[in-house]
Amino acid sequence: MKIRSLHLRLLLSAGIAVFVALAVAWFAMTWLFERHLERRVAADLMRDAKPLLANLALAPDGKPLARNPPIDARFAVPVSGLYWQLSTAAGSERSRSLWDQTLPASHDAESGQWTQRVVIGPFGQRILLLERLVRLNRQGPPVLVQLAHEEATLHRARDEFGHDLMLFLGVLWAVLCAAAWAQVRLGLRPLGRVRRELLELQRNPAARLGADHPREIRPLSQAIDDLAEARERDLLRARRRAADLAHSLKTPLAALSAQSRAARRAGAAEAADGLDRAIATVSATIEAELARARAAAARRSQGSATASPLQVAERIVGVVERTEAGARLVFEVDIPAALKVPVDSDDLMELLGALIENAARFARRRVRIGAHQDADTVNLGVEDDGHGLDISVEQAVLRGGRLDEAGSGHDGLGLSIARDLTEATGGWITLDRSPLGGLLVSMCWSDEAGAI
Amino acid sequence: MRVLVVEDDPDVATDIADALRDAGFIVDAARDGEDAWFRGDVEDYDIVILDLGLPRLDGLSVLRRWRAAGREMPVLILSARGDWTEKVEGIETGADDYLAKPFKMGELIARVRGLVRRAAGHASPVLRVGRLALDTRRLSAALDDVPLRLSPLEFRLLDYLAHQAGRSVSAGELAEHLYGVSETGDTNAIEALVARLRRKLGPDVIETRRGFGYHLAGGEP
Repeated sequence: MKIRSLHLRLLLSAGIAVFVALAVAWFAMTWLFERHLERRVAADLMRDAKPLLANLALAPDGKPLARNPPIDARFAVPVSGLYWQLSTAAGSERSRSLWDQTLPASHDAESGQWTQRVVIGPFGQRILLLERLVRLNRQGPPVLVQLAHEEATLHRARDEFGHDLMLFLGVLWAVLCAAAWAQVRLGLRPLGRVRRELLELQRNPAARLGADHPREIRPLSQAIDDLAEARERDLLRARRRAADLAHSLKTPLAALSAQSRAARRAGAAEAADGLDRAIATVSATIEAELARARAAAARRSQGSATASPLQVAERIVGVVERTEAGARLVFEVDIPAALKVPVDSDDLMELLGALIENAARFARRRVRIGAHQDADTVNLGVEDDGHGLDISVEQAVLRGGRLDEAGSGHDGLGLSIARDLTEATGGWITLDRSPLGGLLVSMCWSDEAGAI
Repeated sequence: MRVLVVEDDPDVATDIADALRDAGFIVDAARDGEDAWFRGDVEDYDIVILDLGLPRLDGLSVLRRWRAAGREMPVLILSARGDWTEKVEGIETGADDYLAKPFKMGELIARVRGLVRRAAGHASPVLRVGRLALDTRRLSAALDDVPLRLSPLEFRLLDYLAHQAGRSVSAGELAEHLYGVSETGDTNAIEALVARLRRKLGPDVIETRRGFGYHLAGGEP
């Protein structure tokens, strides 16, 4: 199974690595502890051997005599686990603790130095046996001096130590895991920032990750920035080409209209009708493409621009008042002078232009353009006293479809341009019935959509 | 009626010229900005149809030069771009109307006729009431000789009040004059229109006489 979370993967590997290291440490330390215990026991046995050796004598029959046995009480208690024994060929003398048992005979004990081995001894016990050959004089028989300590007590001590050590290492493992967790969190935090910045980049293609990252992350952020830059350049070029193409088609279309009229004059009315239909379709496509290019450009500059809706609305009203539809209308502009919306002024001009022209087309007497700022949103509305929206358009809006596909021609296109631009700048648009009687188009931007 | 058509595309220029000739106009044509500026500067036209994307000198610069030289003939702008920034710039530079390409020839002819009618309709173009001067040809007002731009509707309201020789006019009568027939709710539109005019002209130019209606005081000097 492949673990997808980098966080979990690092934590798990840290946990396992620390566990293995602590387990090895536990084995090594208990083994060292056991060796240390054995050395201590051997040293104790040698110390006990000293009085034995100092007062060693031989009986006339050649048996060894312990005139000054070790004083440790355990030598006197049967099966205590602590034993001594002196042996010659003639016989042996041993501690009371051995009772009726003997320590195993030795074949390789040397004179002059202690040797040590672990064997099965009296009472079936595993014992640590220390032994040495001693000659009381040059001619005398060798005396085998043996002292033993049962191993079980050593093992018990080792096990107790191992148990305590395990508890301690367990706590240490938990602490190290917590430290690893903190380290992983801290180490991966820059990636979280990269993720947030990528989300911002997705929202606003003009945003960049920047160079303010740890050295290890910088190549990544730089590569992403380069990619975003290249992608934006390509997109921009493509859009500009599309917009240029759309613009450049308009004059030939006007020329084509001229040809259509010439054809009509020459009596080819059917051909002229066909041409006119084709021209209308291409014109609508061009307008939609230009609106898309404009929305894309607005999305690119989102968050960096603000505009005064009062100024823009007044300038547009100045134009619309001169059109045939606008000349008979009263335009009420009710916008606080200091109010700003997070939209570039050219985009706001297209946005309000489309809506005010639309309102002027359907208004009876009045068009009202108002704006106000709430606690966390800024609202801009365009309303008229006309007949309101067609049901088909309203349904298209509810369905979330494109307004220009709602089959109401120019009416829909203006609203569609406005919606594309509003959404591209982080706002949203709603349609409602105006108190004046016609359509009320409201645009809202939250404070977070940009500096207001 | 003489009209100057400034358009660099030969097909479009010929089409417009033919349509205008059919409509009874005498048509001159210019293919670039320099030529257009020269013709508009030295000859009198009743109206100019001006394309914005012109070789040698762009349409807006041509218009700016004419207006700076005091040439006040109506100008209808034609443009391939059709965005609002350009429309607003065109109107603010001094154009009288705007048409985006591709356009319907019928609409172009109707707009040309409308502009010519508007410009030619007033023999005595300037009407004065107090500090207010109404230029009936350019549909503009000036207060203390500072020009203010008015919408046709605003202008017609001021024009009607100015012709009443100090008489107060009710909102209903104004609505009837401006809209032909007065319907319920039209007086609200008149109130909104007066409010907008007051914002442009100052509060004392149009006075409200309670029980009688509106009176054009013109702002006493």
